Amino acid sequence: MQPLNITLVAGPPGAGKTTWIRQQVHTAAEPVIYLSLGAGETTLDPTYLAAEVPELTVLPAVQLTNFLERPPVGCVVYLELGFYIDLTSLVLPNQMADCRRVAVLPPGTRHTEWHDWADLVVTGAETAIPLQQAHFWRSVLTGQVLDSASLNTFWYELTYGAYGNVQRTKGIFDIADGRAFYFDFTKGLSRSNPVELNLPRCLNGRPDRLSGIEIVGEALDQETIAQTLKDCCLEEQAIVHYQQQIKDLIEQGEEVG
Amino acid sequence: MKVAVMSCIHGNYEALNAVLSDIDDQSADKIYCLGDLVGYGSHPNAVVEMIRALDIPTCQGCWDEDIVEGLNSCECSYPSVLAEKRGKLAHEWTNQVIHPEVREFLAQLPLSLRDDNLCFVHGSPHNQHEYLLPEVDAFVAMERILATGADILFCGHTHVPYVRSLDAGQLQIRVQSTGKSEEMSFSAPLKRIVNAGSVGEPRHGRPNATYVIYDTDADQITLREVEYDYQKTCDAIIKNGLPPIFAWRLARGLEFAERADDPTHVCER
Repeated sequence: MQPLNITLVAGPPGAGKTTWIRQQVHTAAEPVIYLSLGAGETTLDPTYLAAEVPELTVLPAVQLTNFLERPPVGCVVYLELGFYIDLTSLVLPNQMADCRRVAVLPPGTRHTEWHDWADLVVTGAETAIPLQQAHFWRSVLTGQVLDSASLNTFWYELTYGAYGNVQRTKGIFDIADGRAFYFDFTKGLSRSNPVELNLPRCLNGRPDRLSGIEIVGEALDQETIAQTLKDCCLEEQAIVHYQQQIKDLIEQGEEVG
Repeated sequence: MKVAVMSCIHGNYEALNAVLSDIDDQSADKIYCLGDLVGYGSHPNAVVEMIRALDIPTCQGCWDEDIVEGLNSCECSYPSVLAEKRGKLAHEWTNQVIHPEVREFLAQLPLSLRDDNLCFVHGSPHNQHEYLLPEVDAFVAMERILATGADILFCGHTHVPYVRSLDAGQLQIRVQSTGKSEEMSFSAPLKRIVNAGSVGEPRHGRPNATYVIYDTDADQITLREVEYDYQKTCDAIIKNGLPPIFAWRLARGLEFAERADDPTHVCER
């Protein structure tokens, strides 16, 4: 059997693992398959990549075993490892024994466990996240529809330190007009605008696609973050009301934002 | 004569003291207050008692009205659901701690005050809840001043201080009646809108209190920005059980909640 062309990608949060994989997809001659390990039920990166890179096949991590048993021929596979996965205790299936190991690290990083582990070190984005004190917090928001003005206020407060020292955070949020947006923040890097995901507008009740948030930081006030997010969510009646407004506009041939 | 005008104290006693001290230093002859004595801040009673003790002519702000009448405006009054939840929290807290005599004082405040060619209101002459932003349409701005008959309209409510001059305003209308049409033209002399900013809840990106001084002899308006121990206010907010996010926002000059998306919109409930 032809060996699988698998690349494992590891690195600290904010260094640019997902960005690097996205670049590889654009230059690959073969079909590319992507899986994210360790993301649990909050699989934000796969959801983001699936929406934004249509030529990429994104597989849920639970399908890894099946996939390895019957791998497709002539494709390349990228497996992103969450920064919280202990690389020294990572046991790989036999089919992955010969895989390539890439570490995406901030410039100037030296003598880390990633260096010992990787076959290739790629210089990524500058981040200054001291992982020793960092906490990782995430929340699934699937089914929730957020008021966009509230979301902008929450995101501003979150990324400017109102709820602790946030070093890295990303989120996928469904808003009232049926669109989903990807928010991304890394401390020390220039701020980027939210990206509208290439997903169909959800205008029939609560969306069943994944949304949620991941935060890496120090002294995070998790209770207040959770409560504020809850306060940003629309109630059933409001969701129906806004969705009907958008449907009416579309029916009238109006352009909706 | 120097007239000091301040607005939107929002229970921030430390800021009020600092502004009163600065007014004293500027040797102002008169002080007017444009309301919103309470709401968000943790010292609503002390602020009202100070205003009463100094006998400062004050008009009623939207927060003062809500504490007297009860919160009756619907969600359209808030820029977001988050701001609505925070606003209601602040309202409930203030409603619980306010003294009966303070509520009575707020209830009898007038909606506007006049002093010769000067008019004082909280939001606009039509409604305490209406925002007169600096970029509001010139026609609307002129209408609001002309409605008062004054030359200078002092307002607050937006929390951002500004002076807007409406010079050489002209209004042309055509009146048509049976068979004849008549054109009429009106000219308005120089009119001004002066926003006094906010003593206790600034939103100009710094925590400093703002107010204005109008020198009637020199016809000169000065915007004053006053530093104060805002950390003391922040500590009191947290200590008294108000949401800590109010303190975080105050320290950054961000206002406790947020500004409305459509600030000219006024809830008609």
